[in-house]
Amino acid sequence: MSSRRDFLGSAWAAAGVAAAAAGTAVLGRALSGSPEPERYVRLPAELLARAEKEGGLVLEGLHVRGPAASPVVLDLTCTHLRCRVAPIEGGGFACPCHASRFDGEGHPTSGPAKRPLSRPRLSPDGAGFVARLS
Amino acid sequence: MILGRLTFGLLAIAVLSGLALAPFWSAARPLESLEALIGATPLGFWLRGVHAFSAWGFLLGTVAHLAEVLAKRTERRLRPIVWWRSVALLPIAVLGLLGGFLMRGDAEAQAALAVFREVSATVPIAGRALGALLLGVPGSDLAPVALHHAGTFTLLAWLLTAEHGGTPFPDLRATVLAALGSFAAAGLFPVPLGPPVAPDGDLLLGPWYLLGLQGALLDLPVAAGWLLPLALLLAVGLARHVDGRARAALLALAAAWGAGYLALTLRLLLAGR
Repeated sequence: MSSRRDFLGSAWAAAGVAAAAAGTAVLGRALSGSPEPERYVRLPAELLARAEKEGGLVLEGLHVRGPAASPVVLDLTCTHLRCRVAPIEGGGFACPCHASRFDGEGHPTSGPAKRPLSRPRLSPDGAGFVARLS
Repeated sequence: MILGRLTFGLLAIAVLSGLALAPFWSAARPLESLEALIGATPLGFWLRGVHAFSAWGFLLGTVAHLAEVLAKRTERRLRPIVWWRSVALLPIAVLGLLGGFLMRGDAEAQAALAVFREVSATVPIAGRALGALLLGVPGSDLAPVALHHAGTFTLLAWLLTAEHGGTPFPDLRATVLAALGSFAAAGLFPVPLGPPVAPDGDLLLGPWYLLGLQGALLDLPVAAGWLLPLALLLAVGLARHVDGRARAALLALAAAWGAGYLALTLRLLLAGR
């Protein structure tokens, strides 16, 4: 038969465990922060025309090329460990961290990256577009 | 042991030179502030070199002293909890130095920050929170990194070194020797910053003491970034608690780890050429 002291001891222990769990959850939530916010990059018509003329250009972590009316936009974040890939001579992209390579369409061709570079969603914005990265 | 005393002296020089550098560094404009320190501040390049060489010396001294203790089988002079805290000094030193590398803010540091964030995210349950705690949330400046570099890891390194050595401060002779060595190295070998953006197609190298891990991540899963160091620490730490063949096996494992790490470093350097 348990005494009043045993009962109180168990209650305190349970309350302590609950408080620790709640504290850990709150701390974890606070430390993990909010997910990275969506980012928008404006692609005005003049920039798209220049990208078409020059065969592609880099803007705020994006690679823009193709016809100004329907541009091809690739996010230059490596799909392996999120380093910034860079265009290389002869076409395609290379990651400076672990030597992943991607072709001009952003598909991985060698190295540890297994997923293609992401393509931001494009929305018309006047004569240009807005790229949405999430 | 002279190596242990010298290591404590190097830590003292790293702390003092870090204090002298702190007013020149900006969390919001890290690379620009360091370029101004190196290019426009009298003896700025030398002061940064003193900080770098003394900190690297502290890491090398810690590794060498650990190997010395294990080779002489003197680890049992320490209580188990003190031994494990002494082993913990190794990752604390590496994390402290890595913070200093990230504080450069150049292309190499930015790449290392992204990789470190992804590696920490693979730690079960607390990974993302751990990454945010040590590195700040994505998009923030380098203030959290600087806080841990100058505060958390430096304080822990000092406390653990002092506990291990049985004295709160390094002895004067060892500190003078450490200072002279750091001063000379900083004068002879400039410590350059990396480029602001990655050169097209070239491999960016992380800090020299993490090149083996960078090489490992060419093939191994991302979690290898923390599992491999953890395996080494467990092998070294447990060596105190076993004898005979078990101890020899653990030390052989640690030695194989070291050899493999050097091989991965070389492989990465060759891949980067």
